[in-house]
Amino acid sequence: MGILARAAGFALAAVLAASAAATGSAAANDDAVIKFGLPQDFTAVYTFVTSEYNQGQRDYLALVNGRGGIGGATFQALVLDHGNQPQRGIEAYERLKQQGALTIDALSTPVSRALVPRAMADHLNLLTTFSGRSDAADGSTFPYVIPMSPMYWSQAAAVVSYMNTATEGGLKGRKLAYVYIDSPFGREPLPVLNALAEENSFELGTFPYASPGSEQSAVWTQVRRFQPDWTIIWGAGVGQTVALREAVRNGIPRDRLATGVWLSESDAEIVGREQTKGVLKFEAVASGREPKIIADILSEVVAKGKGAGPEAKVGTAYYNMGVGMMAMMVEGARLALEADPTLPLTAERLNIGIRSITDFNAEGLLPPTTLTREDHQGGGAGRMAAWDGTRWVAKTDWFSAHQDLVWKMVRAESEKYRQTGE
Amino acid sequence: MDMAFAGELALNGALVGLFYALVGLGIVLIYKASGVANLSQGALAMVGGYVAWALATDAGLPAWLAIPLVLVVMFGLGVVLERVVLRRMAGEAPIMIIMVTLGIEIMLRGVVPGIWGADVKRLDLGIGQDPIFLGPMLINTAYLVGGVVSLVLIGLSVLFFGTLHGIVLRAVSDDQIAAWSVGIRVEHAIALAWGISGVTAASAGILWGSVQGVDWTLSLFLVKGLAVAILGGLDSVPGLLVAGLLVGIAESLVAGLLDPVVGGGTRDIVAAVIILLTVLIRPYGLFGRIHIERV
Repeated sequence: MGILARAAGFALAAVLAASAAATGSAAANDDAVIKFGLPQDFTAVYTFVTSEYNQGQRDYLALVNGRGGIGGATFQALVLDHGNQPQRGIEAYERLKQQGALTIDALSTPVSRALVPRAMADHLNLLTTFSGRSDAADGSTFPYVIPMSPMYWSQAAAVVSYMNTATEGGLKGRKLAYVYIDSPFGREPLPVLNALAEENSFELGTFPYASPGSEQSAVWTQVRRFQPDWTIIWGAGVGQTVALREAVRNGIPRDRLATGVWLSESDAEIVGREQTKGVLKFEAVASGREPKIIADILSEVVAKGKGAGPEAKVGTAYYNMGVGMMAMMVEGARLALEADPTLPLTAERLNIGIRSITDFNAEGLLPPTTLTREDHQGGGAGRMAAWDGTRWVAKTDWFSAHQDLVWKMVRAESEKYRQTGE
Repeated sequence: MDMAFAGELALNGALVGLFYALVGLGIVLIYKASGVANLSQGALAMVGGYVAWALATDAGLPAWLAIPLVLVVMFGLGVVLERVVLRRMAGEAPIMIIMVTLGIEIMLRGVVPGIWGADVKRLDLGIGQDPIFLGPMLINTAYLVGGVVSLVLIGLSVLFFGTLHGIVLRAVSDDQIAAWSVGIRVEHAIALAWGISGVTAASAGILWGSVQGVDWTLSLFLVKGLAVAILGGLDSVPGLLVAGLLVGIAESLVAGLLDPVVGGGTRDIVAAVIILLTVLIRPYGLFGRIHIERV
């Protein structure tokens, strides 16, 4: 019965997901419904990352819709699975465009990269939150590609900055191991790490593993013998949990092991909550149930049985990232409708709204974030957090690091895009 | 070369190779019984991992009860697949039957994560995470336990072929028509092979699932299992053992020694190269009977 119920639930979810967040909107005027396209990877590599992130996105829309929406409009999430495959991502993009989506949030670096030319040509907002190409931070080159979050170069720079501060005498002469999934996502931070290694005079050892990363023993043998002072792991899904487990097995000190945003309670659960105690991550969105928006979702959405997924996942790192990013999108819509209340809202007007978000922190969930026509990253701030066995505990205040270097690289890469289109 | 480094790579690689051999065992058993290469063995390993998770974690059964139950369920699934799908294909060209097994693989990869969720699931068998050191060489405890279990199961399979059922299977393997003519129930023998394959696949899925977590990627074992089965000889159980060790050690050494030179990604090429070279140079593998042909 349990299995049948799950099977039925899965089938129903596939059918209903597209309208799950459109509380009461079925009969509403279509012009008054702002549609956000969420083609994401539910089945291949990022699985539980996506399910929690997407759950947070839909729950936030349910919260806003439950309060009557914004400026006479309600919101609808259009959810599709692209399985982390660029071709399927392109098909999903085209379908969602036909359905009137004003934004596309693919949550996948390979899919986002494949969608950039289309989004730019179609003037459809491609939201590359925590994923995609880092040079998209340059809004003057990529007006319709909007990370709205610290991209990988900023995350890596902040992690290295923290390690520099936390090491007596700094990183000079020390060894830093970078263990990463051998994909565009894993390779993304390499330029900034190489530049920082040169600038700070530390030795950078790079250790790629093949996707999806189910077996990494040979890699970690090399890492252990490299005897790093600090280790950065960079993956998601299976690759990330296997990396963490192998790091523990190989005696890498957990308080000298850090990663970007893709590590959560679920990862720690799989590896072992106690075994992963002390591991560090870059946190771009506060986790836990304390932030006001999360508390509001619990009381106004989940408690009324309108949650998009299991209550246990509310407040996890990935869930809160979904909430935070959706809060930014809704804020962009609010600003757009404030400037011009005419419905339907268009992708171009939403674009202007998102790119004028100023000092927005989603009631304490996010670092204060300002997007401009030039800066699509929003400042690149986050904080370091450590796993204490049950939750992520902030180790620093919100901060951004090496933004001069990051922006130098952003401009150089975006210039290449302008020249070559790649 | 740093011998301790190479030794550690080889030792852990050999243990991982035994996992591969466990998947290859199912392929060999079915080939021996029916002359068909079973391409659904990776998905069966994945199903075994999922069922183990469902019983041990979702239903909360203790591991000592959950694991035998999984093996029984997977034996049953193997038999059902043979009875419902494969038996209908009797008399069809081997390539059609192989395609059907590939269809089963693809279907299970989609349906099972659909039922239980595609996210990675923790499967805790209580194997400690602390490594064992042999001098300067680190041995992964989970790999060691899995390797020993694999070795035992492969050994039991070798012994099985000395039992009455095993002799029946060998007779069917040698000549199905002759086996029929002397009253052997060939269908039952083939069903038995599928049942045992379900068990060996489940063992691999459970053991590896406890290492990496349970999700669809367990089904990727198929390529490794195929490489081992083809290299060992599709009809040789002892060959599996040698081939498993060779494939595992080769993968680990190549990844450990070449990745830093070429920038990574060599591990998964090894199995593909082994399959290619074996089929081109010695299609009957290291220990297979020479009548095996390229399909």
